[in-house]
Amino acid sequence: MPGAHLDFLRGTQNADGGWGYFPGKQSWLEPTAYAALALHGEPPADRAWALIRSWQMADGGWRPAADVQMPHWTTALGVTIAIARGEFGEPFQKGVAWLLGSAGVESKLINRAAARVGLLEADRDLSLKGWPWKPNTSSWVEPTAHSLVALKRAALYLQTARVPIVELRERVRIGEAQLLDVRCRDGGWNYGSRAVLGEDLPSYPETTALALLGLQGHANLSKSIELAKGMALDRRSPLARAWLRIAFRLHGVDSVPLPLGTPLRDIVVTAVDALGAGSGYEFFRAGGLG
Amino acid sequence: MSITRRNFLPVAGASVLAGYAGLEGARAHLKPLTGRSAVAIVKARSYSDDLVKRMHEGIAACGLDVRGLKILLKPNLVEFDPATCINTDVSVVAAALEVFRSLGAAEVVIGEGPGHRRDTYALAEMARYRSEIPKFDELFVDLNRDDASSVQGFADRAEIYLPNTALRADLIVSLAKMKTHHWAGATLAMKNFFGLVPGSVYGWPKNELHHVGIDKSIVELSRIFRRSFAIVDGIVGMEGNGPIQGTPKPAGVLVMGSDLPAVDATCCRIMGLDPAGLQYLRMASDTLGVTEESRIDQRGETVRSVRTNFQLVKSFQQYRLS
Repeated sequence: MPGAHLDFLRGTQNADGGWGYFPGKQSWLEPTAYAALALHGEPPADRAWALIRSWQMADGGWRPAADVQMPHWTTALGVTIAIARGEFGEPFQKGVAWLLGSAGVESKLINRAAARVGLLEADRDLSLKGWPWKPNTSSWVEPTAHSLVALKRAALYLQTARVPIVELRERVRIGEAQLLDVRCRDGGWNYGSRAVLGEDLPSYPETTALALLGLQGHANLSKSIELAKGMALDRRSPLARAWLRIAFRLHGVDSVPLPLGTPLRDIVVTAVDALGAGSGYEFFRAGGLG
Repeated sequence: MSITRRNFLPVAGASVLAGYAGLEGARAHLKPLTGRSAVAIVKARSYSDDLVKRMHEGIAACGLDVRGLKILLKPNLVEFDPATCINTDVSVVAAALEVFRSLGAAEVVIGEGPGHRRDTYALAEMARYRSEIPKFDELFVDLNRDDASSVQGFADRAEIYLPNTALRADLIVSLAKMKTHHWAGATLAMKNFFGLVPGSVYGWPKNELHHVGIDKSIVELSRIFRRSFAIVDGIVGMEGNGPIQGTPKPAGVLVMGSDLPAVDATCCRIMGLDPAGLQYLRMASDTLGVTEESRIDQRGETVRSVRTNFQLVKSFQQYRLS
């Protein structure tokens, strides 16, 4: 059990209720969300949610930190944490709406038209829509994976969540297709593209693990899962190991031992480690929309 | 009394960070440069050469005084592939640390915000930074996840967020790698500043910079971080489809200077690439630095004596120097 990890998180919460990427640093939404999920049900998680809620912007998107005035991919984490807490009020509703309206700029009509007439050389299918790190930029694997998890989980609470299910299903469908479209030849994922100038890009363990989270419930992932098993043998990245542990648990893979190390001063790694080693990984269980 | 950046920042906070950079860096206030710049080229045949001595020679040749300064060493740490040479070699980083400490810097830290990989410390481990630089974790700042502040004006954007460690440094030393770049032509001292942009705000990769425009972003970052010095690791560079998928290319040099466009232009000439073919150098020329060969005081080796043509991707082959 990740008791030491949870103790570490309890001891490093900032006075404003958030966590920095490292102890003593300014609060950011990303480490705060993971730490709050790891400490779900405890008072520190409530204080964290109060802070996160205060960072939601008028358009429904979440800013990544108090002083960064832009809606951000971490909106997906805001929605995921709202669902974990059973909070389906206005912050959740607006967050879902923001995610539904967010897409990488490469899928804009003008880019699709330019690609069709040969003015734009695209390395991907521009009719598909993933999610960007921030508005007015392109789609990338990690924000797409987190957005898919958030929207699929929102759909699980259809009765209470009052989500626009038809629109949501369609957005998830083309988001999943986008993620599959950028899958590397070896079955894993680089950070966004599968090749540059015709040369294949290598897969990364952390992005491959996250893509597997986003594609839960999708068929035809066996090659990707086998690749991820091999990636788990490389122990150099604690972050990759932490996300791979969650991906394996969500996909029912129990043949890869990933022992829990000691807590690191990296809050994200420590929190994601704790989520994967305990029951917190269930906050990312999304399934498929069928 | 004039208020310097170094004296003022610790008590000022984000709004002043923004104001300072805005005042100092506003494009409208950039005057054409009329002087000359020194660039030192020193030979180093391999990473086992006495790099500390070589750096001392180059820094002295450029007349840099770092006594009392807070210095950020910014290597190029991007990805790791044992088959090639993507990153600034650890021996160059370790030597720079020793050199700037010995020259009387008040503080020397190492910082980087890799553009692709999330796990910066794992990347630093793969590149042997953690194993070969004593107390690396204490010296290192992950700029992707540092505290950040807003700086006014970045190309057509109203603001950009940048890491406080970089904004508060008196001098940023760009420990760049001599590489070709499939979009920009080359990635050298100026392009290396992409790693100063925080992933916590802009993601992995920092795609915002691509949408602003790679060349514009290179120039804008150099405009904001004017107090800089460059040491380009060309001992073994990268040619072909750089900055990641190219092949190793030994050039056997370290290139140094305070004028980053002049350093980059010199590196291009060493690589057999016409600096006038690189848009960012055309944009930076005469405002951020000088790029004409006739206005660069070449110290140490001559370009001619160390030139070795780097293989170029098709779109830059027209800029091969004769």
